[in-house]
Amino acid sequence: MLTIKPQDVAALVEAFERSSAQDMRIAAGNFELQLSKTATGAQSWARRSSAHEAGSDAVAVAASAPAPSQLAPARSAAPKDGPAAVATERPAVSSEPPAGHVFVRAANLGTFYRSPKPGAPSYVEVGGRVYGDTEVCLIEVMKLFTPLIAGVQGVVREVYVTDGALVEFDQPLFLIEVDA
Amino acid sequence: MIHRLFIANRGEIALRVVRAARALGIESVLAVSAADRESLAAAEADKIVVVGPAPARQSYLNGPGLVHAAKLSGCDALHPGYGFLSERASFAKLCEQEGITFVGPRAETIEAVGDKLAARRLASAAGIPMVTGTGKVSSTEEALAIAAQIGYPVITKASAGGGGRGMRVARSDADLQDSFDRSSQEALEAFGDGTLYLERFVERARHVEVQVMGDGAGEILHFGERDCTLQRRYQKMMEEAPAIALSEATRKRVHQAAVDLLKPLNYRNAGTVEFLFDPDRDEFYFMEVNARIQVEHPVSEMLCGVDLVQLQLRVASEGKLPLKQSDIHFNGHAVELRILAEDPTRDFLPCPGRLAEWQFDLSEPGLRLDSAMHAGALIPPYYDSMIGKLLVHGPDRAAALNKINAALNAARVAGIRSNLHLLRFLSAHPDVLSNDFDTRWAERVLMPQFLQAN
Repeated sequence: MLTIKPQDVAALVEAFERSSAQDMRIAAGNFELQLSKTATGAQSWARRSSAHEAGSDAVAVAASAPAPSQLAPARSAAPKDGPAAVATERPAVSSEPPAGHVFVRAANLGTFYRSPKPGAPSYVEVGGRVYGDTEVCLIEVMKLFTPLIAGVQGVVREVYVTDGALVEFDQPLFLIEVDA
Repeated sequence: MIHRLFIANRGEIALRVVRAARALGIESVLAVSAADRESLAAAEADKIVVVGPAPARQSYLNGPGLVHAAKLSGCDALHPGYGFLSERASFAKLCEQEGITFVGPRAETIEAVGDKLAARRLASAAGIPMVTGTGKVSSTEEALAIAAQIGYPVITKASAGGGGRGMRVARSDADLQDSFDRSSQEALEAFGDGTLYLERFVERARHVEVQVMGDGAGEILHFGERDCTLQRRYQKMMEEAPAIALSEATRKRVHQAAVDLLKPLNYRNAGTVEFLFDPDRDEFYFMEVNARIQVEHPVSEMLCGVDLVQLQLRVASEGKLPLKQSDIHFNGHAVELRILAEDPTRDFLPCPGRLAEWQFDLSEPGLRLDSAMHAGALIPPYYDSMIGKLLVHGPDRAAALNKINAALNAARVAGIRSNLHLLRFLSAHPDVLSNDFDTRWAERVLMPQFLQAN
């Protein structure tokens, strides 16, 4: 049977984000993934998802439509010219992590840094092990740098944000597969 | 030129600024808390940034976070709306330090007019009358001695802020003895500063304020006055323009006083100068300057036919006023009523929740609703309970009040408790129709009558 890993979903989401397509739907076995950049697509997903909830153990990824705010018209996240590109670059992440995984979320809004200083190695890499008190990144607000800790023990499976990007409050930054 | 505007506010004013920006071809980036992701303003803004969790302290009051978000989203200007950080001098300063144009007065101006005693010194220097009052008063003994000089009744006020905190009327030595320490304690808790001052109390006081806009270089325009006498515990309920209690001569004097006060400061952008008007002496007294756009600004917009928020953005953008005083004309009469998610029958208990119905018929000309609400919208429990402002413009006061009462009677708000009943009652009240009320009338007359009828 086909097993879909979170990384596979992330790769699909990334490919979809880069493409000019507005909607994408993939179904394989009991796995179903629908991605949409439009409000109507997102709404149809919301209906479909609730209808399928009972019978499917699918990896729950709603891609471009996790936050209700994205149901708004005319926010297809096409980066405008200028520095706004920094802020609009928010990869689509599901609102809930897959079973056995947790998100490390931004404790506050700010600029995301993967390493303690420029040129230094990243705090954590995909595949790396973290513990409850492992520092995973820095978030900067007006030159004030605050380290963020993993809060769980496990293995880093995803890093959703690129170095130097603006992260919003509560935004998922890392996916951690929690030790059983 | 402003290219992209950051909006550090929520609710109807956020929506108002988003639309004003769009009308001028300016992109908008709206700061939202986690509770406001679904708001109408969020839907209409070009982009949103979730700045923090629901509590305002961590979102709409998080100055460094807001400025950081403004910078990183490529904004070159910031509109603070009203409330929240709009009159925080340190916030305006932080914006300017980071190269972001603050759509409002300069930080030092906000500071100068924000301290009430400092503002009184400014008014005094400009030759503007003030209610016979005092400097700082720090003890009950001192207060009693001063009250003996200026005569009862007197009122205590907090030096550091408004909103009714620290404000108490005393009609005798016994009253003052009883209330002074409590008022001081209240001011200390609300503003971190228990300093009070004393004023002679005007029995039939009316609240009159003048809307101004400055270019920051000494040019100050006024957009007439508003009468906001109808208040409950210092919270405005109804605002209107013009203030028909003023004679034409007094009206001209009050406009000039507002301009004279702000001119020496080279006041920049929108502001309001508040006066207390004593109809018995035909005299007005300076109260305070509000260094921001106010909730009730649409009243003046309807009176003058000018979009003040667009004007704010143009002044911030171009550094000059695109019109002259002689271009501003006053027509007819405008009235605003504040719709609150509060239950007037239960001491104005806030009633957050989901709106099942939100229906206003605005098809009649001269009606306007400033609101970010819609059927199905969730009113979160974290913020101010004002959910809309119903406005009307008519050829005269009677026609305007008649029209707004009809609009209220046809309106439907369901799912939450609101003050709609109270607004219907008040807009048809004979004292309101005959303009026979003062700043304490709502507490003294309106509320007891309303509660008896409901």
